[in-house]
Amino acid sequence: MYRSDAEQLIRKSIARFVDAEIIPNAQEYDNSKEYPKEILKKIADMGVFGIRYPKDRGGCGGNSTLFCIVCEELARGLMGLGATVAMQCLMGTNCLFIYGNEDMHEHYFLPAMKGEKFGCFCMTEPEAGSDMGAVSTRAEKTNDGWTINGMKTWVTSGPIADFYTVMCQTNPAKKIRGLEFFFIPRDTAGVSVSKPFDTLGTVTSKISEVSFTNVRIPDAFCLTRDGQGTGYLFSVLAEIRCMTAALAVGLQRAAMDDAIRYARERQAWGKPIGNYQLIQAKVANMAVNLEASKLMTYNALKMVDRKIECKNEASMAKYFATEAACSAADSCTRIYGAYGYSMEYPAQRHFRDTRFLLNGGGTHEILQTNIAKWVGL
Amino acid sequence: MDIVVLVKQVPNTTDVKLDKNTGNLIREGLESIMNPDDRNALEFALQIKAEYGGTITMVSMGPPQAVDVLSEAMGMGADKGLLLSDMAFAGADTWATSYTLGKAIEKIERFDLIICGRQAIDGDTAQIGPQVADFLDIPQITYVTDIETVSNKEVIVKRRLEDGHERVASQLPALLTILGGANNPRYPNIGGLLAACEENAPLAAWNAADIGVMVNDVGLAGSLTHVIKTYVPKFKRQGETLEGTTAEVVRQLIQHLGKSEGASACKAVAATCRLMADTKQEGI
Ligand SMILES: Cc1cc2nc3c(=O)[nH]c(=O)nc-3n(C[C@H](O)[C@H](O)[C@H](O)COP(=O)(O)OP(=O)(O)OC[C@H]3O[C@@H](n4cnc5c(N)ncnc54)[C@H](O)[C@@H]3O)c2cc1C
Ligand SMILES: Cc1cc2nc3c(=O)[nH]c(=O)nc-3n(C[C@H](O)[C@H](O)[C@H](O)COP(=O)(O)OP(=O)(O)OC[C@H]3O[C@@H](n4cnc5c(N)ncnc54)[C@H](O)[C@@H]3O)c2cc1C
Repeated sequence: MYRSDAEQLIRKSIARFVDAEIIPNAQEYDNSKEYPKEILKKIADMGVFGIRYPKDRGGCGGNSTLFCIVCEELARGLMGLGATVAMQCLMGTNCLFIYGNEDMHEHYFLPAMKGEKFGCFCMTEPEAGSDMGAVSTRAEKTNDGWTINGMKTWVTSGPIADFYTVMCQTNPAKKIRGLEFFFIPRDTAGVSVSKPFDTLGTVTSKISEVSFTNVRIPDAFCLTRDGQGTGYLFSVLAEIRCMTAALAVGLQRAAMDDAIRYARERQAWGKPIGNYQLIQAKVANMAVNLEASKLMTYNALKMVDRKIECKNEASMAKYFATEAACSAADSCTRIYGAYGYSMEYPAQRHFRDTRFLLNGGGTHEILQTNIAKWVGL
Repeated sequence: MDIVVLVKQVPNTTDVKLDKNTGNLIREGLESIMNPDDRNALEFALQIKAEYGGTITMVSMGPPQAVDVLSEAMGMGADKGLLLSDMAFAGADTWATSYTLGKAIEKIERFDLIICGRQAIDGDTAQIGPQVADFLDIPQITYVTDIETVSNKEVIVKRRLEDGHERVASQLPALLTILGGANNPRYPNIGGLLAACEENAPLAAWNAADIGVMVNDVGLAGSLTHVIKTYVPKFKRQGETLEGTTAEVVRQLIQHLGKSEGASACKAVAATCRLMADTKQEGI
């Protein structure tokens, strides 16, 4: 009997949703800077949040490739939405999925799959970014659990989240081996969340600081133990990087689609500007970079799904696809001429949104450093 | 309440292009989608199922890749899919299509309702629903915009007329054809879509032998109509929508009438209107 190809079927379904529900409203969402609650509800109802989790645990039984196809399509519509959804599908819920107990599964993970609760991931601190070893949020063992003190920043979905996966130092003497992940519900005494940051791009995705002052949690909320923390982080890092690469692919497609549409419409010297070779060269470069980005991203994802070690491939994909997105958005604003500088056209949004891609999953300086090391330097 | 929904895979365009030499539809490069009205048909079926229980069986006649519309329907919540696929079915006109669909439905043990779209965006005939009902000898209600109530014995629906609506009751089993825009079809669920791709998904494929038809009675061979020529009609006259307040629109209309070529009657009307407007100032 004939069966549909899952990747094509999911891509087509999400693309139809993005074309009908997101693209026509993207500019409005971005201008309003508001958290797009209603559209996220629709995305939740489609089961997107469970896409990479198994069916017997409340997910849809998909994999990382399918998850990233969805990220790519959503980012083609609105990067801020892609950012929120990616956080909920992966970093915000994954540690809970792997290490959480039955009770946490029932009260947090399952509602998160339905979009009734939101999770997020807290690593970065005011004094610890790329240098993870500098994380100083302290988790101290007590008789019946743990006490957490410290401050996290740049927490995507921080203002709207119901629970946090927080990287804490359990034993400073152990340095990086002392880092573990803790589960902290927002309504625990001592948790406070700052106002949302005013950011350059992805303005519908809400980011804040989250601070923990004498936050007491039961022992079960300690998700990783005995040095598992960094191991866990490295185990999902390849997927996080692929996800960022997929978002970058989506942005490239949006920038290219808009650039082509405009180049066909806009006339100069009696011809559409798309008839001029220098405009064609820009579009051709976008197309070539896009093709290469897709190949690198989905190649790395196949490895993620087959559980083949691919930190190198994933880093290269994230680095390349993001740089290509920066270049595509840059070209797009040039093709739009003065209108590339106008807040009424989408080119500026793509341009601003590329900056979101640069840091998550490792800055490009860090990735370049690692890539050079892996190839033998 | 057991419901059969007929669904067709169509090219994603209403601007159908024909090959100048062969007269065939150019399908290359066109993405295939579920016929839009069929989405509305399925949405009603899902609403009925939510209220009264039962099963929804999707039936589509088409090439192997038409399985995608069945998968999509299952993502939306349909229970089963049945693909009628056989080289012998190719080239069917609406008669042969309805005959094939009808024979397949006869093989489905039980159904209370058949719901289909009013019209397909490619073939565009709106004949399939009525013909299938006729073949099965069951009542049909076309142009349905709302399903009001369904019971074991009857269905009451609202159907669109040129100048309004009428409420119609019919005994069951019956066939309904649904107008596009009648409801707001849900998006498919990712879990449902993935389940439809699995080997053990409740999807079956039937060929000519499975539904017990002779190859001469289906497809091109079984078609009563024969296409002599297909061509794209040239539009000499095109409609135009005037926008604005009533007064603005009337003023634009008067201007248009005044300009219309060779139509002295129009000019006379326009002149009269202008005169009336002038005398009454803003009183149009
Ligand atoms: C939109 C957005 C969302 C975010 N969401 C989250 C989130 O949800 N959770 C979370 O924990 N964090 C989040 N972050 C934070 C992100 O992970 C950090 O920005 C990232 O880890 C880099 O840290 P930093 O900004 O402190 O930069 P720093 O580490 O201070 O780096 C500053 C500059 O120095 C360079 N640099 C640093 N070290 C080296 C070196 N060894 N060699 C060469 N160059 C170097 C960097 O590449 C960079 O150019 C988010 C950031 C942004 C912008
Ligand atoms: C004179 C003539 C000659 C034709 N010759 C050919 C030919 O040579 N080759 C060729 O490929 N096509 C041919 N066609 C087109 C083909 O017969 C029709 O596309 C097909 O019969 C469906 O009709 P329709 O598209 O008008 O659907 P409509 O009657 O407009 O569709 C109404 C509803 O019926 C249901 N439905 C329609 N088709 C199907 C289906 N296949 N499976 C399940 N449900 C369905 C759907 O619910 C749909 O919304 C011909 C059509 C005509 C009128």
